[in-house]
Amino acid sequence: MQKKTLSILLGVAVALMPILASAAVGLPKTVKVDKGPVETICSAGEPEWRKAQTVEGVKIQESLRCNPDNPAQIAAEVKGTNNISMETLMNTYYAADAIIKKNDMDGDGDPDLIIIKLEVAELNGHSPDFDGLVPTFDIAPGVQPGMWVFAPKSRGMATNSFVGTDANPLLRAPSPVIRVEQGDTVWIQLENSHYFPHTIHLHGVDHPWIDNSGEGNDGVPQTSDKFVLPGQSKTYEIRPRQPGTFVYHCHVQTHVHLAMGLVGMLIVEENRPNNWVQTFNVGAGQVRHPSKAILEEYDSEYDLHYHAMDKELHSIIQEYNDPRLIAKKMNREYDLTDSTEDYHTLNGRSFPYTLRESIIVAEPDKNIKLRMFNSSGEMMAIHTHGHKATITHYDGVEHNPIAQITRDVYDIAPAQRNDLRISTVDDGFHSYGEGIWIFHDHREKGITTNGMNPGGNVSALVYKKYLNEVGLPMGIGESVVPLFTKKFHDRKLPVWQDIDGWNSLGEIDGKGYKAPAAGTPMQVEAGPKSLKAILEAESASAEGEDSSFSNFIFGLLIGIALYILFLNREKIMAMVSSKGGS
Amino acid sequence: MQKLFIATIIALTISSTAFAEKEFLNHTRLMDHGDGHFMDMDGGMIMGQNTDVLPGGCDEIEATEEITVHAGHKYAEKFPGRMYAFDIQEYHFKPCTKLTVHFINDDSIRHQWMMHGLPRYLYPKGMFHMELTGPGKISGTLIFPPNDKTYLVHCDISQHMEKGMKAQLKIGKGSGDLPSIPGVTANVIQDDYRDSIPEPAVVAPATAKLAAESSDSVISGVLIIGLAIGLVLAPLLATRFKGMSAGEIVSTVFELVAKGIGIVIKLITSLINLVSSKKSIELSDK
Repeated sequence: MQKKTLSILLGVAVALMPILASAAVGLPKTVKVDKGPVETICSAGEPEWRKAQTVEGVKIQESLRCNPDNPAQIAAEVKGTNNISMETLMNTYYAADAIIKKNDMDGDGDPDLIIIKLEVAELNGHSPDFDGLVPTFDIAPGVQPGMWVFAPKSRGMATNSFVGTDANPLLRAPSPVIRVEQGDTVWIQLENSHYFPHTIHLHGVDHPWIDNSGEGNDGVPQTSDKFVLPGQSKTYEIRPRQPGTFVYHCHVQTHVHLAMGLVGMLIVEENRPNNWVQTFNVGAGQVRHPSKAILEEYDSEYDLHYHAMDKELHSIIQEYNDPRLIAKKMNREYDLTDSTEDYHTLNGRSFPYTLRESIIVAEPDKNIKLRMFNSSGEMMAIHTHGHKATITHYDGVEHNPIAQITRDVYDIAPAQRNDLRISTVDDGFHSYGEGIWIFHDHREKGITTNGMNPGGNVSALVYKKYLNEVGLPMGIGESVVPLFTKKFHDRKLPVWQDIDGWNSLGEIDGKGYKAPAAGTPMQVEAGPKSLKAILEAESASAEGEDSSFSNFIFGLLIGIALYILFLNREKIMAMVSSKGGS
Repeated sequence: MQKLFIATIIALTISSTAFAEKEFLNHTRLMDHGDGHFMDMDGGMIMGQNTDVLPGGCDEIEATEEITVHAGHKYAEKFPGRMYAFDIQEYHFKPCTKLTVHFINDDSIRHQWMMHGLPRYLYPKGMFHMELTGPGKISGTLIFPPNDKTYLVHCDISQHMEKGMKAQLKIGKGSGDLPSIPGVTANVIQDDYRDSIPEPAVVAPATAKLAAESSDSVISGVLIIGLAIGLVLAPLLATRFKGMSAGEIVSTVFELVAKGIGIVIKLITSLINLVSSKKSIELSDK
């Protein structure tokens, strides 16, 4: 009886199986992931700032990008904070003594003593009071690596407003581009407002090893310089005789301090009469008041500072507060030789934020000067779409004009500078015509943010007719909106969500999904055998004959040997016993 | 040429003054920008100055006080793990006090004495703020409201408050204590110091010395033992090897050595067996 019920139950189960199976053979369904809050791609801010204008007698070029530099700030940078009205100064974050310009010693109409003050600011640092970072500087939505920068001397709060934690506009990566004129007496005063010692080394810039007072001037603690300790200041003196694109950086624990961001471009412009150069280009990018010499050859000028960061290094200052602990973790425990660069930035930000600040605005038949600097730890290969640029200078030194190379990938070693000339003449060589042409590192990790694309140091050369009224490129490709979310950079958003009507590459919802029993292959007809199967079958048959034959021979030989042994058994015994006896 | 010469002379005279110590500036001649905002071109600044307007609820100025506050790296010395500090971490005043603060910066960098949480109708952004661009002194005045409250005083330069430049000012009984004030209150988010146990600095050289000494004594001890064994064994070996050829002596020595190695191996294997059998017993117990 029991046996019968069991068989009935089994029978029912078997009968039901096809029905159950058909219900569960489908794959898990697709769900749409909520993007979460989307940032305004360009919060138009101050549209007036984009226009060409004159402030305090300073001619300021048009800057059509989404986040143009503040014209009042440029006026302060060109005239010095000591030569502008209090009103203009109040429209900036500069300290009153940030840039002092005076003494036209050669009587050519521009000041020849330039006093520049730099502070050291921490961005995205630790707070012992709350679980967050201060002051914040996003390199991409929600991406906030801890950084140190040289910052022009500012006044007031470190944050932009009383309520938020975002850093004021002078506190940002990269360290500001410094511009001086050839032959100027320049005092760079480092006011170390940070909690670690620092110095400044003037890489490539003509500078004496010791200054007039006999103090070290090269910034190297092991040879010339004392540390500039927290709360102290030190003045570096230069009177550069050679123009070019150079570098300044901290030379204390350089392997980490440089990566942390204490590195910037220092440009010496050729001497010209009445040549007031823009002392700082905060955030790099477009130079809105190019020097006289540049305007002789070019229509516009851009500073492009490439950098890269290892997130392990850049999280140390976020995890600890005690400077002694930070020093230990950074100087003794962090091993740079084991590091990998995770964040790749252009002018302090990664794509898509580069679209707001670091686009190059082009018009046909113009010459654009690019100064490219690599402060990352690895070789870079920058590629320009739609244009072949000519490398005019390496490391600030002009390349023989008849030997200059025009190409579309510019390899640039760590600390190296390439000056490029982009001609927008549509001749199929220098330019392929108008458009939105991206330019980026062609080591593919350079176009990622923490290994995820799109991101990294991608930006674009955009022709004016493709810019909209807020300075954003009017692309005709896929929407960049999802990239302006924290969700995307948090790896929560499928890169290809909603690319078609039914979200065919969307997020999988595997909740409650149970894989059905695996299907069984069924032969529909005797198909062609796979090559592997054929080969296996062949070798098996060959081996079958072979092995049986060799087995037979082997057995035969053993049999003969045993027979011989048996026949000679007495001789062998005698031999053995005689050996043993002796 | 003459022009260049003069230029050089001027440059040298200017530069020679530049490398003198940063001079201490007394910021007394400030420009009034309205709304209690005063500033000079040497980097002195006051925001939220109020010398005469009584906050709501105050019938009169209850007390008139003056304090001198120093800011600088050196005031952090007494607080390990801090880098900047004020010389005073806590202040107490009566409600409706008129307070004049003489703020002195002892560093060659910028510092601030910034106070938050004041009534916004009297103080823009609810702030009273003094800033000095370098070594110097500046004085500012404000009048406190009547309610008991604890005000945050800090320097807002990046990481200065986080690394110690933080204080609290209590009016009346105050309204509690703010965290992470050096020597007064603990950090909300605390560092983990479990990995920060230094190697015992005194013991290290001592053990090294000990090892050196003991190695000396070991050598001499072994020397004596070797000597004794040698003395005892020499006659025995002499009788054993008597009449043997050199080759035989060598082979005998090898034999002895081989025997010795055999004994050692046996010992080791038995030890291993002992250990492994113990293990198996333990396992079976479980």
